Amino acid sequence: MKDTLMIEAVRKTVTVDCSVEEAFRVFTADAVSWWPVESHSIHETVSEIVFEPEVGGEVYELSTAGDRGYWATVLEWDPPNRLVLAWNILRADVAPTEVEVRFLSDGKRTRVELEHRGWEALGDDGAAKRDDYDTGWDFVLGRFVADAE
Amino acid sequence: MDALGDRTRRQVFELLRAGPRSVGDLAAGLPVSRPAVSQHLRVLEHAGLVTHRRNGTKHLYEIDTSGVGALRDWVEGFWSEALARFKAAAETKGEPR
Repeated sequence: MKDTLMIEAVRKTVTVDCSVEEAFRVFTADAVSWWPVESHSIHETVSEIVFEPEVGGEVYELSTAGDRGYWATVLEWDPPNRLVLAWNILRADVAPTEVEVRFLSDGKRTRVELEHRGWEALGDDGAAKRDDYDTGWDFVLGRFVADAE
Repeated sequence: MDALGDRTRRQVFELLRAGPRSVGDLAAGLPVSRPAVSQHLRVLEHAGLVTHRRNGTKHLYEIDTSGVGALRDWVEGFWSEALARFKAAAETKGEPR
């Protein structure tokens, strides 16, 4: 029987006090200004984060030594309103997850909605995953969840 | 216990995202000793985030892909932190209204 494991998408919303255009620009062209590179990067020190602005483009980090670290591939690119990335969150040889980011006008502000989905595509065996998950898989990471909201 | 609450452990985890590594390989890329890396790997393995296998005389460590639920929770926390920082950056760098 096909396993029906579904893991809920991660959904986050943040409202920022700037225009849609500026929010999109900072998110993509100036990601190095906000991405927590000190803890979430491939290289020890990162000098730049690049979003190649087209479908099929890559998102990657550049180390201070100039080495490139691949992060994701652009699936949809609709500035300044929306982008979708294919993100190999685990490894290059494991199915990518999808990250969609929408930038919505909210009066003078911008509501940024992020959805990170496709968890059920990961791993080799859905049933085994389900067992692991249900028997205490997630007990360690509570501190990391939702502390900014 | 908080497996990814330590900066060096997060770095170990990030390095393993690029593929399986030995303790020596990991230690070479980090400003900590091999025994310290081993200790971090034990914590990550105990949390189910990392697994290891023997390859000849080497132990290779890799991300445990069965750990999707924990990984999803980790990513959720990551985006919370990242978007809070994005908000601060956008409002600082955003054009004056």
